[in-house]
Amino acid sequence: MRVVVCVKQVSQLGDEVEFTGDGCDVDPDYLDSALNEWDGFAAEEALQLRERLGGEVVVVTCGGEESEQALRRALAMGADRAIRVEGAGRDPLSVGRALAEVVRAESPDLVLCGVQSSDSVQAATGTVLAELCDLPRVAVVTKVDYDHEARKAVVDRELEGGLVDRVEVDTPAVLTIQTGINQPRYANLRAIKQAEQVEIDVRTAAGGAEAYRVRRMFVPSKGEGAQLLKGSPAEIAGQLLELVRERLK
Amino acid sequence: MTVLVIAEHVRGQVRDVTFELVTAAGELGGPVTVAVIARDPAALDVNVAGVDEIVNVAVEAAEFESDVWQRAVEALVAERKPQVVLLGFTVNSMGYGPALAAKLGLGFAGDVHGLALEGEAVIATRSFYGSKVSAELEFPGAAGVVLLLRPTAWTPAEGPGSATVSAFAAPAGPSRARHLELVEAAAASDVDIAQADFLLSIGRGIGERENVELFEALAAKLGATLSVSRPIVDAGWMPSSRQVGQSGKTVKPKVYLAFGISGAVQHLAGMKGSGTIVAVNTDPEAAIFGVAHYGAVADLFDVAEELEKLL
Amino acid sequence: MSETRESFAGLPEWAVVLWYVLIAVSVAVFLAGVFLLRRKYARGRSLAPFDRPGTRVLRAARIVLTHAWIRRRDTGAGLGHLAIFYGFLVLFAGTGILAFQDDFAEPVLGWDFFHGPFYLGYSLFLDVFGVALVAGLLVMAVKRGLQRPRRLDYARPDRDEDRRRYVAGDWAFLGFLFFLALTGFLLEGFRIAVDRPDFEAWAPFGWLLGNGFAGLGLDGAAADDARLVTWWVHGVVALGFVASIPYTKAVHMLAGPVNVAVRDERAGRRLPELPAGAKAADVGYGLVTDLSWQHLLSLDACTKCGKCHEACPANATGYPLSPRDLILDLREAAEGALGIRAAMGVGPLHDADATLVANPIRPETLWSCMQCMACVEICPVGIEHVPIIVELRRRLVDRGEMEPLLQTTLETIYDSGNSFGEPKRKRGRWAKDLPFEVKDIRKEPAEILWFVGDYASLDPRNLRATQGLARILREAGVDFGILYDAEQNAGCDVRRVGEEGLYQHLREQNVERISQCDFERILTSDPHSFHTLRNEYPEAGGEWEVVHHSQLLLELLETGKLTPAKRLGARVTYHDPCTLGRYNGVYEPPRQVLEAIGAELVEMPRNRDNSFCCGAGGGRIWMSELKAGDGPRPAEARIHEAVALGGLDYFVVCCPKDVTMYEDAIKTSGHQGAIELRELSELVLESLGLPPLVAAADEEEGEE
Repeated sequence: MRVVVCVKQVSQLGDEVEFTGDGCDVDPDYLDSALNEWDGFAAEEALQLRERLGGEVVVVTCGGEESEQALRRALAMGADRAIRVEGAGRDPLSVGRALAEVVRAESPDLVLCGVQSSDSVQAATGTVLAELCDLPRVAVVTKVDYDHEARKAVVDRELEGGLVDRVEVDTPAVLTIQTGINQPRYANLRAIKQAEQVEIDVRTAAGGAEAYRVRRMFVPSKGEGAQLLKGSPAEIAGQLLELVRERLK
Repeated sequence: MTVLVIAEHVRGQVRDVTFELVTAAGELGGPVTVAVIARDPAALDVNVAGVDEIVNVAVEAAEFESDVWQRAVEALVAERKPQVVLLGFTVNSMGYGPALAAKLGLGFAGDVHGLALEGEAVIATRSFYGSKVSAELEFPGAAGVVLLLRPTAWTPAEGPGSATVSAFAAPAGPSRARHLELVEAAAASDVDIAQADFLLSIGRGIGERENVELFEALAAKLGATLSVSRPIVDAGWMPSSRQVGQSGKTVKPKVYLAFGISGAVQHLAGMKGSGTIVAVNTDPEAAIFGVAHYGAVADLFDVAEELEKLL
Repeated sequence: MSETRESFAGLPEWAVVLWYVLIAVSVAVFLAGVFLLRRKYARGRSLAPFDRPGTRVLRAARIVLTHAWIRRRDTGAGLGHLAIFYGFLVLFAGTGILAFQDDFAEPVLGWDFFHGPFYLGYSLFLDVFGVALVAGLLVMAVKRGLQRPRRLDYARPDRDEDRRRYVAGDWAFLGFLFFLALTGFLLEGFRIAVDRPDFEAWAPFGWLLGNGFAGLGLDGAAADDARLVTWWVHGVVALGFVASIPYTKAVHMLAGPVNVAVRDERAGRRLPELPAGAKAADVGYGLVTDLSWQHLLSLDACTKCGKCHEACPANATGYPLSPRDLILDLREAAEGALGIRAAMGVGPLHDADATLVANPIRPETLWSCMQCMACVEICPVGIEHVPIIVELRRRLVDRGEMEPLLQTTLETIYDSGNSFGEPKRKRGRWAKDLPFEVKDIRKEPAEILWFVGDYASLDPRNLRATQGLARILREAGVDFGILYDAEQNAGCDVRRVGEEGLYQHLREQNVERISQCDFERILTSDPHSFHTLRNEYPEAGGEWEVVHHSQLLLELLETGKLTPAKRLGARVTYHDPCTLGRYNGVYEPPRQVLEAIGAELVEMPRNRDNSFCCGAGGGRIWMSELKAGDGPRPAEARIHEAVALGGLDYFVVCCPKDVTMYEDAIKTSGHQGAIELRELSELVLESLGLPPLVAAADEEEGEE
């Protein structure tokens, strides 16, 4: 059995921000990075499938050299192979296209992606990837029950309002994985350092149309915002209680 | 500027986001067509002011199935050639919206919360980097664009409509991801937070599992019902029946007290409509202060403790 | 006839031969036991051969012979044990001297020294030490039987276990020795009772006994018969005792001194390095055979004295951890898998291939440890509980077996270089609120590189102290700079949690970045950073002079660079932080600073090396609560201790984690208003008479 997991090293912005010269992105000096939270869950799900069924877990990312950190994390968790595709745009269509090339070549039984990335929140890459590989897909999955022999999976899809839709999907398929589905295992530094010795297969993306182009990036005005309660915690508590009692009448 | 809106529904009910899409479509000018894809589309009422045409697309599937919806919308787009296809940024849409754009070579953006028209060009506004910055997107050279709009970012259209109604036959085809059944996630015995008048809501800021009890006790003393944001449910500290947010419950209590909740978009979507929102958070930049009516930049444990003393 | 006594008097030849045969059997059984023990230790991991054997042996001899470690914190038991120790040694030597005389000196060398003045001195000496032995044993019996201190209660904090076997073993040991002493004196008494030669008055106690027996009509042949019987009883029991040494509690007589000689003097303070390229099976202690041979040996040195159990703050506040029980569990496992009991098939047995966690060691036991070193500090035989716990944790962490909160914190530290998950840019933000610029030492040279640390930089409650220290330094004209966002968590607690890989990563990066700067020495305001920078960073090439801010403040006060404008006149108590005090022996500078600024210091009952941990160490501040019951948390217990002193204005600390823990504890222990927390820098600032800072944040809010 082969599972491909798509991961992303996402950027995190603190409370200070400066933009790049062209005004279309944040100055990288103001960004820290980490493995996308959703992708940790996806990787863990893949590893658990491998534990049950044997086979291999291949982890893929789209980005520059810094994005290899996400791959190392996944390798340290136990993934078998890692591939990086560089030279693609950063929108979901470009990334999906770049990943699709890899997935088609790997012929996996399942492709697991995170529902969305924390820095972009388009929730689109997995579905784009599925389309370009002509694979069935289920988005926002909270439970996977995979029957390798029958080439089917029964998955739970988490709808709004706490409702769950149970879906039967033919495999190979793409599933986008929601947080809370499992408890991602810890990738200890010893394993991460050893993963640094692993050769990562680097490929270049073929070009293509982008989903959009950023024209301008800016800090949105906060609007009025909340009226702030001031003072010591005791004073704040007092004001809060008064407020609450009044509004509950 | 023809705009095609795909109606969102579940269990025979049209969801609010559909009407929000109609409002947004109206902002773009041009005729607004709402497509209802369902087993019995005529039973779903989307005839509100602002809708010019309703297209009923009857399909076999009892509930959403990604292949079925995608095939239907593809056919519609091929025939009607709308410049803009509007979907809600919902779980269903995530299953086919981006695929549509990829297949048909259209522009795409998700979680859009602002729209503008510059001549014939659509400008979409969305957030990046955890909602801290916004960006204006354009779609040069695209024949059309698929946009997934953020629920609650537009007000729902209302009032009686006078749309023309027609039927559209979607082509048949395989459905590779088939709906089996709908399951209620929560245990029926637990409290229904959507019925509460007063919610005390806690988030990641409470730190460790132990502190849940602290706030449970505080809620009891205050006469509030305890609710939580997603991270608390993910960690297994409270059941999902207590979750406020897009994937949890939408609540509109008289008073919503948020302790240690930063205000992720999905959470805000679930409580923005509350009567009075008070947020306590140590981070002055937390997004929740954007929707809260009152706020305090303070340590939530200190404030919680002081509140206990007063009760 | 000169003063002497005859050996084997009244024994037929065959009896003497039998006696020597019994000796041989006893020695053989003893040696077999020693052989089995040695085989057990050999199953452990080998360490580098220990260095400076001469120095080590001499040092160990001094410690053992003066009982320096045994006498700490319980002089009564210490002196009691001293009496038993020397009593036993002298009596044992006495028999040895006799054997030497009979079996070697006379037959081989023709030298008979066992008479005359020598004999008289010998008799006196042995009698006195025999009495000492008995007295010591009585002291111990009273302690165990009547006084019953808590540390001798074998009840476990983490589970119910029937430990009557231990208690029986203890009393058997005492009883055995007492019986030997008793029969020895009886023997002597009977011998003297036979004809009571005058010179035997040199054995005063024997003389008393002998005359006593004679007075009762037991003399002459009757006494001699009694003597013979007693001689055999005493002899056989003595031989039995010697044979049993490796198999019973008595083994501590061998293992203890040896452990004192071979132990790591820097145990816990400088943790062992993990070699590069280590495999999963090399990391930490998973199986009983992963323990180093020295640690396996140390397990047998434990006498269940309970001093570690008593000193442990986790144990005192209801956590499922007792350092004593940890060692005993490991000992039982080692014995049951590799030792004498395993060889003899006597249960409970332990499978050598089974992991030590979860049986017999529970994970929550290991995670309860605050790494405060109170146990290692006080152990009379030098057992290294703290590094053993770290090694056990290393294996758990390597396998990802830890609670989600800790896992998330470690991931956060890796991603953002700090335990709060704050963006890297925020590290130096505290300096921006000052009315002067703080040098960026990456760009300009400075005399002092101030390594601020996570908590001091980013925890809101510590900003006052950190900014206060900056102002003090400026006032004193100190040329200092900080690393701004190049600084990362120093890794002290990461290492003690057991994530050695992450520790090495942080250390490597910190050393690299610090090495690129131009400075004379490093200042830290966090004892944890202080400890690891000073003691463990040299392993990675980071060799600098490192001072804690209490030391620097003292220096500035003593050299006149800082002059207090007023004397504080406050009544304060001072809490010795574990990593500054026990770990590094820095006890006086903070006290001298307090004195110099006019604070009246009232010592905590448990101070200096006996300081009671706040509960944050060893990564516990990153973990959820493990304490059972409603009792106070360690920090709360400490505040109770302080408030009980009465009339105190301030509880003074000089560690940022202490600031966090004690600020909370003052509130939650119900003493808010009774005492206030002050960081050392805040008090010095006050005494300098500088006006308080208006926080920039408050100003901004006001404008809105």
